[in-house]
Amino acid sequence: MNFWNPPFQKMSKLSFLSWMLTLILLVTAQLGFGQEYRISGNIREDATGESLFGASVYLEGTSIGTTTNDYGFYSISVKEGSYTLVISYLGFDDIREEIEVNDNLNLDFELQEASNQLNEVILESENIEDINIAKPEMGVNQLKVATIKQIPAVLGEVDVIKSIQLLPGVTNNGEGSSGFNVRGGSVDQNLVLLDEAIIYNTSHLLGFFSIFNADAIKDIKLYKGNIPAKYGGRASSVLDVRQKDGNNKRFAMTGGIGTVSSRLALEGPLVKDKSSYLLAGRGSYAHLFLKLDEELRDNSAYFYDLNLKTNFAISEKDQLFLSAYFGRDVFTLAENFSSSYGNALGNLRWNHVFNDRIFSNLSLNYSKYDYQLEINAFEFDWISEIDNYNLKYDLSYFLNNQITLDFGINGINYVFNPGEISPTTPTSGINFLQLDEKRAVEGGIYIGADHKISEKLSLQYGLRYTHFARLGGQPITEYLNDQPVVYNELLEIYQRGTPIGQTEYARSEVIDDFGTLEPRLALSYRLNDFTSIKAGYSRVAQYIHLLSNTTSVTPLDVWTPSGPYVEPQLSDQFAVGFFKKFNNEYSLEVEGYYKNIYNRIDYIDGSDLIGNNTIETEILTGDARAYGIEFLARKSAGRFTGWLAYTLSRSEQQTPGGTAGGPGINQGKVYLTPFDRTHDLSFTGVFRLNKKWNLSTNVIYQTGRPVTYPNGQYVYEGLSIASYSDRNSDRLPAYHRIDISAIYTPGKPGRRWRGEWVFGIYNIYNRRNAAAISFSQNRETGLNEATRIAIFGIVPSVTYNFKF
Amino acid sequence: MNRFILLFVLLIALGFSSCTDVIEVEVPTAPPRLVIEASVDWQKGTSGNFQRIKLSTSTPFFENLQESPVTGAQVKITNDSDGTEFMFQDENNGSYFTASFVPVIGQSYTLQVDHDGETYIARETMTPVVKIDSVFQSTENGFNQDALEVNVLFTDPANVPNFYLAKFLRRGDLLPTLFDIKDEFTDGNQLKIIYERLDNEDTGEYEFEPGDVVEIDLNGISSSYYDFMRLLIEQSGNSGNLFSTIPAEIKGNCINVTDPDHYPYGYFRLTEVDKRVYTFQ
Repeated sequence: MNFWNPPFQKMSKLSFLSWMLTLILLVTAQLGFGQEYRISGNIREDATGESLFGASVYLEGTSIGTTTNDYGFYSISVKEGSYTLVISYLGFDDIREEIEVNDNLNLDFELQEASNQLNEVILESENIEDINIAKPEMGVNQLKVATIKQIPAVLGEVDVIKSIQLLPGVTNNGEGSSGFNVRGGSVDQNLVLLDEAIIYNTSHLLGFFSIFNADAIKDIKLYKGNIPAKYGGRASSVLDVRQKDGNNKRFAMTGGIGTVSSRLALEGPLVKDKSSYLLAGRGSYAHLFLKLDEELRDNSAYFYDLNLKTNFAISEKDQLFLSAYFGRDVFTLAENFSSSYGNALGNLRWNHVFNDRIFSNLSLNYSKYDYQLEINAFEFDWISEIDNYNLKYDLSYFLNNQITLDFGINGINYVFNPGEISPTTPTSGINFLQLDEKRAVEGGIYIGADHKISEKLSLQYGLRYTHFARLGGQPITEYLNDQPVVYNELLEIYQRGTPIGQTEYARSEVIDDFGTLEPRLALSYRLNDFTSIKAGYSRVAQYIHLLSNTTSVTPLDVWTPSGPYVEPQLSDQFAVGFFKKFNNEYSLEVEGYYKNIYNRIDYIDGSDLIGNNTIETEILTGDARAYGIEFLARKSAGRFTGWLAYTLSRSEQQTPGGTAGGPGINQGKVYLTPFDRTHDLSFTGVFRLNKKWNLSTNVIYQTGRPVTYPNGQYVYEGLSIASYSDRNSDRLPAYHRIDISAIYTPGKPGRRWRGEWVFGIYNIYNRRNAAAISFSQNRETGLNEATRIAIFGIVPSVTYNFKF
Repeated sequence: MNRFILLFVLLIALGFSSCTDVIEVEVPTAPPRLVIEASVDWQKGTSGNFQRIKLSTSTPFFENLQESPVTGAQVKITNDSDGTEFMFQDENNGSYFTASFVPVIGQSYTLQVDHDGETYIARETMTPVVKIDSVFQSTENGFNQDALEVNVLFTDPANVPNFYLAKFLRRGDLLPTLFDIKDEFTDGNQLKIIYERLDNEDTGEYEFEPGDVVEIDLNGISSSYYDFMRLLIEQSGNSGNLFSTIPAEIKGNCINVTDPDHYPYGYFRLTEVDKRVYTFQ
């Protein structure tokens, strides 16, 4: 089996420019129709003033129509005349308005929640997301928080990351593992954005919870493939999470009291209809239970987070947004050990409507992730962190009803601190050590078009050029024969190379740089009103890597930039899909994908990453590939709603010796990645029993994770030592479970205070799913044994949620 | 460092309704390989003439009979400088013995094992160790402030990378506890190894009590043997854990010159060792 050679190349800026020009020429050639007028404006939710994205706006009886962009803005062009403008959005009542067009119009609309929903609060079932037949978008899943809130969750804690794992093609390493894997990709290949700022670790309590507070989130969008040109930087997916803007009509309060955590969100107008705020907080108190246990009394483990958002409408055409997030996890083990970590981020954004055709968004983001550890028994502490500033300018140009252009630039400035060790006492045996700080800048420029070629055929095409420069301010080690890792022919193992010198780079110097041209293309062909076929291709470069040689990603893992010894990862993904709506209730999506990832690093046997200043001595570079087919059948209306998702897939890697020589990792043979799941089945259903009761369930089945099992033992130093078979050549037992929950909404409808009780049982048949199986020698009997670690058995929970 | 992660994972796991249990797992079985445990340890203050090398083969992982001794092999060590050969006598129980070995610090030696028509070779250099400064007991060090632990102090030579293997065995226990130590973060300092035991019903371990006797070995080891032992200790502890590295075959420094694919397990080490015996008061 052979993988392609990496097609990685350094593309000159000149050839990129010529590409762009050609594209613009193509697009402008479409111009020059008769006299047309523009209708543009914003679509919002009536009750809260929140902008609605993806709302459809069309002229009845014509083929003219569009959907609102990420900020709720729309723009269409029409010839002079009388029309009926229809605004619709799932779960909201349609607005129909007769309009007379003889000039450009600016029309803002506020949609009301569907009238049959008013009585049943958010529990109405029509929140399940619709599929889009006409758009070339594929590999995209959008979830509204209202949907996520209905899904049974462990310990009653509504969770964004757990919810997306119910979608086809999304998995993780099981309970108690951070992050998620998309289409056989690793955790660090997901670009996770919270209000446009990059998040480096999505987990609380090592993955039991995610950092997203459901009360502060408006919606999420997950791109599993066909990533639009405006996004870049991660090889597998984009998870775009948006915070609510805050209610600009009236003060509102939402919250919940649960078994392990509680949350509260306050929102309201600063100036009615013009500006609003949102302030949300969440904290866990599971550590209080630890106090009840005699042995664990002195220990604690908890998290908290804070979300803030505010916006000001400066003028009709300008709106400012400020959002921030701060979250932290804290662990302490008596007085011996304490560790804390978390994300902090901020975003300042300016939306400006230049005219009825051009919409812009300027955004300045800061984000930071840090990890701190203090071990008193050994008298030292440890700090590592990554932070970045990201400046982005995105524009949408509504050229005509056929073409919308998106273009923009962005620049990211990174600082990586891989670790600093300090003694905490004068008598400490540990010396101060600062690992080299690494600096880098990443720039991107893109242009993309949504192009409706005909009634049947739509295209989405774009180009993104990214450039990454590793900056100086640190020494770079050189190795004998330019080999940071060397294959020892005699012992048949990989060893660290021999350093022969160091070059000190000044802060103004560029140590190494890379450029990538990333084409994106998607098309959709509509067979009829209910059926379409789609296809797409996307290339994405990834310049920063999370170093993790453990089974599950840990909060301690550090990020590292590409540079002289670490090539950027590059993914090429091809996908085809079939989309069908059977009527307004049922739909079916089938997608097949094939993804190659070049320059995926893997770790030599016995690699040691923590506190390592020269990680190039621990890694080899290989190619990964993943392919699969995904089915998603949904029922999106009626008393019963839900979906059934099934994925058949494979994810594997081959890591040859390269410059190090030798056959490579796993003797150069192809091996499964830890994210390979042959079968992944999930069912989520919500049944509206009556106005007060909603019942829901999850059913999940997954092939076990690839692991490495012992294939023998021998005695050495009086211990039984296991010998191991090929990397990831065995599997854990299959993972499966069923969860149920019931939501009870007492009281009369129409009251301001609306409460609900959520009763849940996670893993009802108490399946002891193995999160891991470890092999060791029993110290009493001396016999080898296999120990299963199962994180959650059956877990009942009760949560009270309220809304005011 | 991974051990600390493991610690707090276990902590959280305890906080929830998690549990571990011993289960039956089917594992693959590879053909047996020769295991060479050639640990030439020169105890400070002795001649180092008496040395024993053990040969065995690997067995299926869950087999009760863990050791399968290899007899009938020829075993010798050669001093690489002067060519002196030290022949080891087959004791017919998997052990091979010599009473005439001459250890020299910094000297390179070659081990040769001939067995079943195949020849195995390894080369290693005798690594020195500093003396243990002192051994004392305490309760306030370590993770449990009430549990007894033994502290071993020694002074690391500055400006050279040093690697150590420390071994603790409580008399009456079946298995020793090993620590791999390097001076990367502690170069030139007085180092302290703390060995504390916590009550753990699952593993059958109990805290130290007055009267307990602990045997302590501190070996000076080579950099490559350190790498070998680090992996071995990590994997024998709790491999396959959520936050452990992916386990892999641990290859030592012995090669099969007849058939390289038929490589043996184990290691040929030459270390100086300082030993202590401590009785808890």
